[in-house]
Amino acid sequence: MIEIAAFRIEEALLGQGLPSFADGKLVVGDIAAGDETLREMRARIVAPGEAVRIENALDVVLPTCDAADPGVSFPGVVGPHGAAVGERLNRLEGLVVVPVCDWLAAGYAQAEEFPGSYIDRDGPGAALDPWRSESMLVLEFIPVPGTPAGEADASIRKVTLGVARDLAATTLGKQADRVEVFGPTPAGALPRVCAILQAGSEGPLLDTYLRGRPLLDQAPLVLPIEDLFGGAVTAGAYDWAGMRNPTACYQSSALIRELLARDGRELSFAGAILTLGYLDGAEAKREMAAHNVELAVSLRAQAAVCTTFESGNSHTDTMLTVQALERAGVRTVALVAETNGGLTDHVPEADCLVSTGNEDESVAAWTPDETIGGAAPLGPIPAALHLGALTQMGDARLQAVPA
Amino acid sequence: MKVVHYLNQFFAGLGAEEAARHEPIRLEGPQGPGKGLVAAGLQVDITLACGDDYFGEHETEALGWLLDRLSDEAPDVLICGPAFGSGRYGYACGVLGREAARRGYAVVTAMTQDNPGVIAAEGAAYIVPTTSNVAGMRAALPTIADLATRLANGETIGSPEEEGYLPRGLRRNEIVERTAAARAVELLLAKIGGETRTEVAPSAGRVTPAPKVADISAATIALVTESGCVPLGNPDRLPTRHSNVWLRYRLDGVGSLGSDGYESVHAGFDTTAANVDPNRLVPLDAMRELERENAVGGLYEELFTTSGVDTPVAVAATFGCEMAEVLVSAGVRAVILTGT
Repeated sequence: MIEIAAFRIEEALLGQGLPSFADGKLVVGDIAAGDETLREMRARIVAPGEAVRIENALDVVLPTCDAADPGVSFPGVVGPHGAAVGERLNRLEGLVVVPVCDWLAAGYAQAEEFPGSYIDRDGPGAALDPWRSESMLVLEFIPVPGTPAGEADASIRKVTLGVARDLAATTLGKQADRVEVFGPTPAGALPRVCAILQAGSEGPLLDTYLRGRPLLDQAPLVLPIEDLFGGAVTAGAYDWAGMRNPTACYQSSALIRELLARDGRELSFAGAILTLGYLDGAEAKREMAAHNVELAVSLRAQAAVCTTFESGNSHTDTMLTVQALERAGVRTVALVAETNGGLTDHVPEADCLVSTGNEDESVAAWTPDETIGGAAPLGPIPAALHLGALTQMGDARLQAVPA
Repeated sequence: MKVVHYLNQFFAGLGAEEAARHEPIRLEGPQGPGKGLVAAGLQVDITLACGDDYFGEHETEALGWLLDRLSDEAPDVLICGPAFGSGRYGYACGVLGREAARRGYAVVTAMTQDNPGVIAAEGAAYIVPTTSNVAGMRAALPTIADLATRLANGETIGSPEEEGYLPRGLRRNEIVERTAAARAVELLLAKIGGETRTEVAPSAGRVTPAPKVADISAATIALVTESGCVPLGNPDRLPTRHSNVWLRYRLDGVGSLGSDGYESVHAGFDTTAANVDPNRLVPLDAMRELERENAVGGLYEELFTTSGVDTPVAVAATFGCEMAEVLVSAGVRAVILTGT
């Protein structure tokens, strides 16, 4: 069982000293720039509706801490790797933490290696942002030249998650606005449904982390929701902004929430499986699909919701998992982003699909008053480059319909 | 209402084939078919024109110039063509129409259904179907004028069947009330209950495999790749991602793809290992060996290559059709297609 205590922010501003929170007012205090790998860090709060474009946005993190021991929050990154996240989380609402780093300008990536990652706070792109109603604490990082990319990224993640933890810790001892309780309910004869959460992990700047370690080569596993909501899964894969899963998608997964909300009434939640996508070869993809089936069957799942990570060959991973599950008698629905011209891959067994949008559709050009994190591009930007717009974890409201 | 009309050199009265390299130009008022649009009730204010070959050979420059003029003129609607069955003209209309539409302009163009411009437009512009030659001008112009007028006035446009334009084959994004997660769980519960529904129809383009080659020792084999394998330095600027072209390179006299002559510019994978030996992207060395052993009839002496990353499915399908047409007409019986 896990409780999430929510504290609503009415006003957020930068300040000095320690962070504080009282009567809905959050003061973000001094933020340490990190270790020797980071040359500079600039903080800025951007409210919804400001004519600002945030470019090279790496992640979105919900300020959260373990209520009993903030030190164990985000285990493996700022908390100890093996720490058990407690039964109650404190979470600030109304502000998210957004780290920004221009890898290209910092010399880590070649042109076109990493497509853009944009968050528009106003204009036509703002509607695509799953966190559009939140203020954003933007942390713009500049690594020390020559620092290996993986080390700079690890430092950025540590500072970001540390800030998220410290801001949430200002709520300790205070009265929450709302407390959500997620726990097991009597199953009865309801259909058992599991979630299969796909993530990518292909090396530095392309990894998803479990307790601070890359998922790379990790076999699929059953992930307790305490770990998921408690920040054990963190994002570090920076291509395909629109279709990747920022950390917030794990911390407050709309899919898991939906399943838990119906748990005991319409279905019996069987558990969440964390699995890998973007595997290198056909055999590896088939093996992973078979592993997913084994775990789903071990959870006695009769049905599964399959998510997809990013774009391209990860869709083959999803389709093979759907095929293997259906052949094993486990009914499926899968969440997929579309391209102009349709799906990247499809199997006949995938007869129940949810569209998270058309990644190739361009969003009309918009000229912000200010750009943070890079030079503003001219012209329209594809939906695929708006961070989280088409996340196939189910947190967004975009859908592709016939034109 | 302000209307800009795009024409090629011929229909703008600049000349026939000898003017195909004419640089883009701005002309006042209606020209050629523009006068037909006026007769159909649509006032044409400005005509932009460009030679077909100039557009094809200097697409970036021509497109940039034309888009700049659109920005200057700020029309309520842009009309391109009709291009009828002309591939070069249709392509220019499709590309300009697509880019203008993506910048927020209302665009109507017209051409035959199989014109390359239809694919180039990527569904962004409305396309009125025409006959393959100017005999269909009189029938097409009133439809174009009507559609353009209503688009310029911000009126709702009905379905392709109702309005007579070509199906755009696109899926547009909508912000809906419920999250994808909520919709997914609802669909799954319905499926468990015996009612299977989907928000995404299965792809229609499933291809039946060709029959096996009866005698491979007599067959000409081609090498095709999406690995972004190109001559060192990428002289023809194959895009590293979101490729809108595929390229052809002669293989005559090339026995092997050495790292001193070839490389991958694909942006979707770490090319370090592949670039040590580009034969692992395109197995030319093995094919030459099979040729020497007479195990195959011969190698088709051109490599077809593109970068298969971030390429919309519709564009990739077009590449496939174009490649197949060339290969079939050249008598190629089998292809080794390497992907990454």
